[in-house]
Amino acid sequence: MANTNMGKTITAKAQNKKAFGLKLKIFKDKKTNFYVGLGITAFFLLITIVGYFWTPYNPNAMDVDAKYSAMSFTHLFGCDNFGRDIFSRVVSGLGTTFFVGLGTVLIGGLVGIIIGAICGYFGGLVDEIGMRIMDALYAFPSLLLALVFVSLLGSGKYQVIIALGIAFIPSFSRIVRAEYMRCRDLDYVKSARLFGASHFRVIFVHILPNITPVLVSSAIIGFNNAVLAEAGLSFLGIGVQPPDASLGEMLSSAQSFLFSTPWYALCPGIVMIIMILGVSLMAEGVE
Amino acid sequence: MKYAIKKIITMLFTLLLISFLVFLAFNVIPGDPATAKLGTQATPEKVEALRHQMGLDRPFFVRYFEWLGGAVTFQFGTSYSYNMSVIQLIGSKLPVTLMLAFLSFIMMTVIAIPVGIYAAKHEGSKIDRFITVVNQGIMAIPPFFSGILITLLFGLILRFFKPGGYVGFDKSFWGCLYYLLFPAFAIALPKAAMTIKLLRSSLLSEAKKDYVRTAYSRGNSTTAVLYNHVLKNSMISVTTFLAMTLTDMIAGSVIMEQVFSVPGIGRILITSISGRDYPVVMAIILLLAFLVILVNLISDIVCHILDPRIRQEV
Repeated sequence: MANTNMGKTITAKAQNKKAFGLKLKIFKDKKTNFYVGLGITAFFLLITIVGYFWTPYNPNAMDVDAKYSAMSFTHLFGCDNFGRDIFSRVVSGLGTTFFVGLGTVLIGGLVGIIIGAICGYFGGLVDEIGMRIMDALYAFPSLLLALVFVSLLGSGKYQVIIALGIAFIPSFSRIVRAEYMRCRDLDYVKSARLFGASHFRVIFVHILPNITPVLVSSAIIGFNNAVLAEAGLSFLGIGVQPPDASLGEMLSSAQSFLFSTPWYALCPGIVMIIMILGVSLMAEGVE
Repeated sequence: MKYAIKKIITMLFTLLLISFLVFLAFNVIPGDPATAKLGTQATPEKVEALRHQMGLDRPFFVRYFEWLGGAVTFQFGTSYSYNMSVIQLIGSKLPVTLMLAFLSFIMMTVIAIPVGIYAAKHEGSKIDRFITVVNQGIMAIPPFFSGILITLLFGLILRFFKPGGYVGFDKSFWGCLYYLLFPAFAIALPKAAMTIKLLRSSLLSEAKKDYVRTAYSRGNSTTAVLYNHVLKNSMISVTTFLAMTLTDMIAGSVIMEQVFSVPGIGRILITSISGRDYPVVMAIILLLAFLVILVNLISDIVCHILDPRIRQEV
């Protein structure tokens, strides 16, 4: 009995956490929220894609004369302590951010869907064991989990993706599990079974398309959390490593020059806030 | 009582499992501590001798139980890079981190609970809407960036404190406390925004229930209904959320310590991760896991006391 009770408290926690993930609502109308969010995200995505082929300056080129120069038309966001163009670095940092965010959602989402689907669809002992482990993992703040995996895997772009991906599995799997538990007794699933469809086919061909809305919305929120977590790790110096530019790493080096060149910290920070805001608005609208 | 004992036993098992997983994980990763200590130029004989001296050539389970036995008595071995015992290294930093987490928790509760109740009481008013919008804005700011903004505003522009000028505990207690107020504020702010949002919506959904109407019909004033009935019922979800927030705060202090250069557990953890100082990393992870589990245990027991409905189910 104690177990069911614990399960309930944890489910309550999960609901709290799910409801209080990063989702914003600025406009009353859901459609407006979605389109404004989509607009902001598309804008950043476009900049990132363009930045992949062309940036105003080489993000790593140092110009001694331009050291600490302020925001101007030649250097849109000014220059840092090495005379590197901050705008170009922000653009190439955005590329890293998108890459890490997408990779994390892909790994966390895929493994989470498989675990959640099997646990939710079959139930019983499999569910009990799988979810106990997921609950134990879920109790830990994801940053702490990511730190553990980074210390095991080492730092760098790909290691961060794997570490964050693993750290994000529990939240994906609980959401998917809840959906599969809801769907497994519905009529269309029963009739599919009666027609002789295998469990595998029912799980991935029949139920999966029906839970897409939930998946999309949690993938968007997961992307946001991944962006924040990546920035946090890079800020601590154990995430993305130079020469790869990253918004978190820029903020961390900008800290020492906060008084003399405040734009060095403010520009990447504000870009990040607007991007997160955009993605959050989109998540709000998707539901 | 029976419930608490059951919970504590479950907690001990979870800790045991975590300790095993941590030990296993740090033993299967490539890279040999003896080679790392001596450098790649060392002769195989020397590495073998050091491995023997460090006890690395013994079977896995022997080493695990030895480590576990040490962990129970807080003996985590010696740090590779500092040449001092791990417990000495952590012991002096732990109070700082705990104080930071505690301060931010107090600050968050002091900000969030009155504001949340106020917003719910005046639902739909201009101030309520203002609170909601500010809340949304605060939640979009990455935690370390809010730390940087606070350093910029309070440290460099208003000069309330000297960034990076942390005063030790032993030197001046109040000086230390004063310095910690700013990182604590940076940690508390986003969490306060989330708590306000939760408390407001939880109060409002409770207020729609039948018992509230009954309470009103018995002649209670709005204030009496709010404090005696609604608040009590919405406290359960808030307590669970606060416990989660406290564990998040312990993790959040890792970042804030870096932003405000506070020498706590977080800084040691980061330097040890980059320096591959595994005894220290393992000890800190186990310690943080213990804290997280302990907080969850306390919150479960508090919920149990607060809500007779949960009590009956057991």
